[in-house]
Amino acid sequence: MRVWRVAAIVAAGSVMGLAWNAFGGRGIALSGNAYIKPGEDVVEIDAAEAKKRLEKAALFLDARPVAFYEMGHIPGARPLPEDDFDRAFAGLEPRLRNTLDIVVYCSGYGCEASHIVARKLREKGVHAAILHEGWPAWTDAGYPTKEGKEP
Amino acid sequence: MRALRHPALHWLLGIALGAVFIYASIDKIEQPREFARIVYHYRLIGPSAALGFVPANTLAVTLPWIEALAGLLLIVGVWRREAALTAALLLVMFLAAVGWALAHGIDVENCGCFSVSGEGRAAGAKLILQDLGLLALALVLAFVPPRAREVASVNEQGGAAARPLEPPLASSTTSK
Repeated sequence: MRVWRVAAIVAAGSVMGLAWNAFGGRGIALSGNAYIKPGEDVVEIDAAEAKKRLEKAALFLDARPVAFYEMGHIPGARPLPEDDFDRAFAGLEPRLRNTLDIVVYCSGYGCEASHIVARKLREKGVHAAILHEGWPAWTDAGYPTKEGKEP
Repeated sequence: MRALRHPALHWLLGIALGAVFIYASIDKIEQPREFARIVYHYRLIGPSAALGFVPANTLAVTLPWIEALAGLLLIVGVWRREAALTAALLLVMFLAAVGWALAHGIDVENCGCFSVSGEGRAAGAKLILQDLGLLALALVLAFVPPRAREVASVNEQGGAAARPLEPPLASSTTSK
């Protein structure tokens, strides 16, 4: 057993992977978000920017399941859960069509719901920014939250 | 213990473990974006505000190639013990990741083990058992040397001067 060979296998595999990613034709941007499809026009904002937009009366949409919304959400945010998009969208449509500044959020980086909701909105001609760090970043920053069914 | 050191067994186990690792790598190599999303789900090395996307994405593009390379070496039997140790280290990493997800109540719907798209296997107790089984296999290959290899290493160390002693040495090692 030669331990350097283990290191060599790991190193060679890593180099092959990075080379394939760079030149193989279907690589991903290492610093980018894999939830965003290539060529997709998505605006991602952080919690501080989201707070500014909230103060300027932006419309916030909570893409998480309704149970999470009721446990706590950004004040004024409307529930638009990814798993019940069509019904929730129908109720919100007039408001969405009349708002220029819309922000979608879900449970954070590991959560795809905000990207799916933003994509579905875009298909309907509504453009929304994504709070890419999601709900955890909002609460970590100590920004106001609200419990219950009411926005 | 004697049966475990049979060279033919090592040859067979190497091919079996190598095939599992190569099979596991194909889907991830083909669909790096989908695999990166699965890595995100574990919330182990980001993405997060502190780490950004680079660690998770880098793992997603390099890990399948390390799996594939270790698998290939296991199958062809070159550096087999070291490739088996690499596989064992990867399996320990997978076990830690699944354990972390379960302990933190993170619902990893698709473990990203063999398939990255659509309905995958969830991270759970069954997956831990499977990984432990593969780990046992890898550890046998890495740390229980087959008999033939011992003879070869005696020859390497002894060099030309030791050649006349080869038959008695060989028989003494096999009768151990």
